[in-house]
Amino acid sequence: MNEKIGLKQIAGTLSRLFLGGIFVYAGYLKAVSPAEEFAYAIEGYRIVPQWLALWTALALPWLELYLGLLLAAGLFTRFCAASLGLMLVGFEALLAQAWLRHLPVLSCGCFGANSSNSIGMEFSLNIALLLSAFISFRFGEAYSLDSAVDSGTAAQPGRDG
Amino acid sequence: MYNHRMLRPITLCRRTARKILIAGLLIFASTLITLTARQLNLGPDRPVPAFRSFGPKTASIQIYEYTDFACPACKAAYFQLEDMLKLYDGRILVNFKHYPLMSIHKWSLDAAAYSDCAGEQGKFKEYAALLFESQASWGRAEKKPPEFTVYAGKLKLDLPALETCVNKDETVKRIKLEMAEGDLKNVDATPTFFINGKRAVGAGQLLDAAKHFDNLLKTGGK
Repeated sequence: MNEKIGLKQIAGTLSRLFLGGIFVYAGYLKAVSPAEEFAYAIEGYRIVPQWLALWTALALPWLELYLGLLLAAGLFTRFCAASLGLMLVGFEALLAQAWLRHLPVLSCGCFGANSSNSIGMEFSLNIALLLSAFISFRFGEAYSLDSAVDSGTAAQPGRDG
Repeated sequence: MYNHRMLRPITLCRRTARKILIAGLLIFASTLITLTARQLNLGPDRPVPAFRSFGPKTASIQIYEYTDFACPACKAAYFQLEDMLKLYDGRILVNFKHYPLMSIHKWSLDAAAYSDCAGEQGKFKEYAALLFESQASWGRAEKKPPEFTVYAGKLKLDLPALETCVNKDETVKRIKLEMAEGDLKNVDATPTFFINGKRAVGAGQLLDAAKHFDNLLKTGGK
């Protein structure tokens, strides 16, 4: 926190807030909607059986919400950015296989079932989010709770060795 | 030197413990907020197909009804809503959502599917009225009631297209999603109404709520 804040750190902070906010929003929308709604969207990708789609639909929105929130707050920043980055890679793989197999995906399930862009649009959006995850991973620790906790502990004499 | 080496991992542990504690608090708070939002129906409403939506989208009074074609109270409510639509013409919006009580009404899901497919051919209202009027005859049938196809003929619907539509996965999925949405909103009886977000159960409560419609129209639905 005491270091000089440069452009990279500002970009990292903004990326962290942007990506975290997007995932909090996406997770919240799905968590307050019936799990079946998201499960049907997952089924549309024809990659997992019906029962697994429902379990995924029950768990994934909460995971998105928690990781997004922790990233936005800057807690375990690098872990959260890497996890969300991995999730985005997974989403890209799902979209790509749906596009290659010409699957009639009506809703990507990204922000619930009420709105959806085309596969190509979602694919491009995810690339931007992936870039955001990378910037958050590299430079996202400024103005974060991580740095606040670390500097708080360091500031106490005798504790940091 | 000994103390210095011993303190480092302890400090690291303390920092990690603090972070875990803060993360736990954030996760707890966000879970609580999300579950409360779910309980208070603050989630987005699933859109209703256009053929099941009557009135202007900008109406001050917006009614969502979870209904079951084999339920006698829903029949009464359906005709009350018809009257309200005439009385408040152009000033209220009525959206029908399916909530077939399959444990007690064996053919409700089928009825909902047939009505939706009739709706896709532009005859939802007419088909729904026929189903409600004759619910006593088909509601407790042992075998698949012939009424579903008889009414299609009566309304001059394209029967093969209707049957294809009824057997489509998408048709049943749409109904089941509305049931899941009803479950999430703690709908456990039909008819259940959400009038500008406020719950009313049964035709009696609908009539009670209707007494305030004039005031709601004056205040723009607030």
